[in-house]
Amino acid sequence: MARKILIFDSSSIISLSLNNLLYLLEKLKKENILFLVTEDVKKEVVDTPLKIKKYELEALMIFQLIQKKILEMPEAIGVDKIELEIATSDILEAANHLFMANKEWIKIISQGEASCIALSLLLNKKGMENVLVIDERTARMLCENPENLRELMERKLHTTVSMNKERIKELVGCKIIRSSELCVVAFKKGVLGLVNGKTQILDALLYATKYKGCAISFNEIEEIKKVEKAV
Amino acid sequence: MKEKENVLDILVRTKKAISENDVVTMKLLSNRTIHSSSIYQDPDNIAVAVIVYALGKIIERKKYQEYKEWPAFFSACMASLDAAIAAIKSDNIEQFRESVENIREAIELLSGHLRSYIEEVFRKASINKASRIYEHGISMQQTASLLGISVFELAEYAGKTGIGDVDLSITKNIHERLKTAFELFE
Repeated sequence: MARKILIFDSSSIISLSLNNLLYLLEKLKKENILFLVTEDVKKEVVDTPLKIKKYELEALMIFQLIQKKILEMPEAIGVDKIELEIATSDILEAANHLFMANKEWIKIISQGEASCIALSLLLNKKGMENVLVIDERTARMLCENPENLRELMERKLHTTVSMNKERIKELVGCKIIRSSELCVVAFKKGVLGLVNGKTQILDALLYATKYKGCAISFNEIEEIKKVEKAV
Repeated sequence: MKEKENVLDILVRTKKAISENDVVTMKLLSNRTIHSSSIYQDPDNIAVAVIVYALGKIIERKKYQEYKEWPAFFSACMASLDAAIAAIKSDNIEQFRESVENIREAIELLSGHLRSYIEEVFRKASINKASRIYEHGISMQQTASLLGISVFELAEYAGKTGIGDVDLSITKNIHERLKTAFELFE
């Protein structure tokens, strides 16, 4: 059976954890499905929040998933640490030299997001099917439609933002879903453990992810609900 | 420091707004460095955005002014603002940074409830400014690190804004994205 890999960015783990939905990862985990987090993401979702009282519990719960090997590090599938570090630096370099405003390159992503994109592209090269799970907006737009991101920045910054088109090819090629879509899968598989009305559960799940940082629009949520109602 | 003239103008106007109890203007002024904070990610511009926003919130809450430590704290903040303005005028960036730092130190001199309230106002101001920078297209993690907050705090706050609803943010058809998700778990 072909192995399928999901690479989690910190934003997606955070929205699951703030909604008390981390248990879904245990329910969805199968022998041929791997959930990966990079060392940089682990720092953001475990090491840093462990020092913040408000998020200490979430950090411990995420760490427990790592200990139980529900979430695994890339080394688990033979990705060399140094190889990933080099690839991450390359992605950071490309992404942060993509947009220019007022003669200044704009640093749009950090190590954590870059490491996820790097891992995904590295696995693509090795012929290993993978999908990124990213809730935050910028990294997703960067990989899927950098022109939209350029336009958005131009609108917001009220200044011309130019794009270094030469570097785009270094960043494209990742498949992306969000925690919202993962929740829809869990809902369809009936692993949520909730017994209320079917429509209300889906509604609650999708809005919960949105309100904890998942960049999904109201229209997209309503569209998902319509589709699921029709099925 | 980037856009020095803009920062100077913001601080001068902030002083005036404080004297007039004009918190609306202070909130608007705090957003005036967001563009440059997003492009240059210059810590000085970011610090000014946070301080101006936080001072606006503090002035707004009249209850704080009933604490016996309030007059000393308020005087220290005003003196630091004056010093920051003078430092920029004389192109002394080190002195400007020291003056900004003095506002933080004035908080540390407080005790009890007032100290916790004001610390909380500053923390929330950082989250608010982070959310604005994220809205301008800088990633969540990059923004959180610029403001010295956690990604958890930013995600919780940003989720309550309309950031995910901007038309340009929709980069893929929802049916295609769902198909990708379902194919993984077939």
